[in-house]
Amino acid sequence: MRGLAKLAVIRKGRLFAAAAASALVLASLAGWAASKGKQAAAKAKEAESAATEEEVPAARPDSVRILIQTVPPRKAQVKWGGKLLGVIPVPRALVVERPRDSGPLDLVIRAAGFLPVHTRAYTFTDSRVAVKLTPPSEKSTLFGYREEPAPNPDGGVPEPPTPSPSIPSP
Amino acid sequence: MKSTICACAALALLGSLGCHAGPPTPPSTAPPRTLSPASPPPVPTSPPATTAPRPAATASTPSAAAPEPSRSESQAIVIHDGKEGFVDAEAAARSGYTIIDFSDDWTPFIFAAQKAPDGTVMNNRYRRVFLGLANDTLDEDGGPLPPGEKNFLELYGIPPSFGVLRERFLANEQQTCHASINLEALEEVETIAYVAPEKLKTEDGKTARLRRELEEARQKNKAASLADLAQKDPSLATKVKAYEHRTAEKAAMTEVEKRLACEGMFKKGLRHATGVYDDGMRMAVRRFQQKNMIYEANYLRSKTMDALARPPLANDHLAFMRVLRERVVAAAGVVEDGSVEGKSGAPTYTGRSGKPVALRNLVDELTQSAAEQLGLATQEGSLAFFKRHPAADFHRLRVAVRLPALPEYYAPDMDLSIVIDRGEVWYHLPWDAKGVRHAQPRKRYPSFHLYLKYNGQRILLARWRTTIGGWRAEQASDGYEYFRYKGSDIGSRVIRNVVAGPVWIAPESTPIRSLIKMKGVRGAWQRVVNYDELGPGYLSAYGLVAGYFVQAGRNGKADWDNGIRAHGSSDYLSIYSSEGYSHGCHRLPNHLAIRLYSFILRHRTMRVLGDQGMGFARQFLANDDVFEIRLPSRGYSYQLEPPLPVDVLEGEIKGTLKTPVLTYVPKPGIKYPGPPPPVRASDEGRAGAGSPAAKSDGEP
Repeated sequence: MRGLAKLAVIRKGRLFAAAAASALVLASLAGWAASKGKQAAAKAKEAESAATEEEVPAARPDSVRILIQTVPPRKAQVKWGGKLLGVIPVPRALVVERPRDSGPLDLVIRAAGFLPVHTRAYTFTDSRVAVKLTPPSEKSTLFGYREEPAPNPDGGVPEPPTPSPSIPSP
Repeated sequence: MKSTICACAALALLGSLGCHAGPPTPPSTAPPRTLSPASPPPVPTSPPATTAPRPAATASTPSAAAPEPSRSESQAIVIHDGKEGFVDAEAAARSGYTIIDFSDDWTPFIFAAQKAPDGTVMNNRYRRVFLGLANDTLDEDGGPLPPGEKNFLELYGIPPSFGVLRERFLANEQQTCHASINLEALEEVETIAYVAPEKLKTEDGKTARLRRELEEARQKNKAASLADLAQKDPSLATKVKAYEHRTAEKAAMTEVEKRLACEGMFKKGLRHATGVYDDGMRMAVRRFQQKNMIYEANYLRSKTMDALARPPLANDHLAFMRVLRERVVAAAGVVEDGSVEGKSGAPTYTGRSGKPVALRNLVDELTQSAAEQLGLATQEGSLAFFKRHPAADFHRLRVAVRLPALPEYYAPDMDLSIVIDRGEVWYHLPWDAKGVRHAQPRKRYPSFHLYLKYNGQRILLARWRTTIGGWRAEQASDGYEYFRYKGSDIGSRVIRNVVAGPVWIAPESTPIRSLIKMKGVRGAWQRVVNYDELGPGYLSAYGLVAGYFVQAGRNGKADWDNGIRAHGSSDYLSIYSSEGYSHGCHRLPNHLAIRLYSFILRHRTMRVLGDQGMGFARQFLANDDVFEIRLPSRGYSYQLEPPLPVDVLEGEIKGTLKTPVLTYVPKPGIKYPGPPPPVRASDEGRAGAGSPAAKSDGEP
């Protein structure tokens, strides 16, 4: 539908299944050690990621595809103003298709147990928006966090004068 | 107030923008087509095919010739025997005509799609937004503009397209509400004094009392009128004058309201109470000023009142001439705008003949010439032009004119340089411990000079007011805001890179409050990162185009970038205000910055680097929400080879403090958790400290 975000949920790829199966068969035939099996699993995981993206139908020439994910991966709600674009189907990405060069999307991503994140996606070209999530307990690690001054320990005693600028005025 | 810290992309740009090695390459675009001073303009090789008149759009169309629509992109309108006809544009250009782009997809040179040496088109991603803004189809983010909305962005460097102007002309010609406006009442006053809404009742009471007092005196003195009273009792003359002035202002205010309403300047959602200079009124005045490119604060001052007292079509014609001016400037590739003229007239240079030659105001001269040739120098002429050309013509309309020959010093590669005089400089904090502001008067303001070296002379081509840095709020590492002196560096620099649609990467010292704004997003108001400030865009801290000042690296060392730029700015009032300061950069109105850099790029050897993609992302915390800045590009870059010399003069240091303060200074009235932290020991921290030139080896 023109003018509206078209959503598509990425499906696990057959490519992944094939790759994983092949890896397992090869591993058993060769009698590789368990460590080798772990390597294969890691490779299979890479294949999963690649296959996931490849499986999403290519955007039309006049459209772009935006992949939205969180780090760490979490089920998160993605809103564009008053419109709910969808929920990130972890471990996959939420895919949004928009008309090419139709202006940016100001998004708010909310995941349970994390601070909401306001971010932006662009429509110049296909892109991936990987948003880092921060739990409230770690907000002091974010830029802009500031510690409030300690309450006045002297109770009713008047505060000392505000530190005066050290620079003489003309 | 815009926060235009210049520390910006210093680090980020060092690697990718600063030091592109390799042999100089010729400009990727041909120099502007202008007449050779030696050759008189011949008749076009393909004579204009004048056409049979076609019916005018309305019966009131003046007697202009009526051509058929432009036929193809290869053709341009030319005036022949007073009639419009068509000519092959390229042939006309070869014959000495200048081709002026009248199409609605015109942008200034800096936003035009350039070509790489291999012929690949290098698109500027801001071009589409620029065009959408000029055509009233997109908003500043590149999203669709609501139907009926107007952008009015001339003050911000984006003139309306001719298609938009056409609509404006035709609508105003049909508009009937203007007939009810008493223009005489508007002309009666030069300005209308601002009365704050909460003081209006008191002021009206004073006026009423004054009226009663004067009326009693008039009767007592048996005067026929108040003027008569002032003559009979001169002691009351001042009161009579004050009363008449206030009365005239009130009458004019009524007409101002009618005029603004008639032009649709009052925005929905902002209430306005009749006779009150409230927010609704202020925004309507601002919109009117933006529509008419009036550089004034949002009050009813002289230029605004002049425009309000002019008939709408007269204002439209002035707008038409401004738009034409930018098209002519772009077509001819000139920059001389008369800004160097002093009380004794234009400065002179010694020509080839050995005789003094006065520097011409080419911007005005060529614009006027084009307007006259095309029959567009009058309001009637421009209205007729728009009537005989339907909107569709402006999709690809071009015109061919014979412009006066350019001065002898014009060449594809000109020896240009920039000098910035900081004027009078104060290092003192302008506030005392209680936050009371102390005046720091300046008689000589910062100025920007563009010079040309020609035949052993230094010719000043343009001189504009600009800004230097001053005391600004900055966020320190403890999360608190302090004052910090953000000065403008002095000494020799160069501009190696010019960036069109530049992106300002807000340094961590940027106050968080300036990085967030409210925005309507698909039917809901939400807080968003303030990308207006970051760009690309006309509201960006770097404006629509920026030249990056660096100290050229030598002996294989990289350029040193202290974050100072000469750039366009939407904060035009800061440029012309007596108390306007930047964060160290040298601001110019966007339209002048566009002209300047378009001129430089077209008259110097340069290389098109194109879009400087990047994947910048940074998060920050505000009120328990995380905001993420995402910037996909630094802008569209051009590289000057060799770089353009810049010299920043120290100016005159006022007051007793002769060197800038390099530490944070607490803001009055704020409780801090401790003493100010040290300024960051980084390029970003150093930026704008007003440091002199670095050592000659290019090291800071």
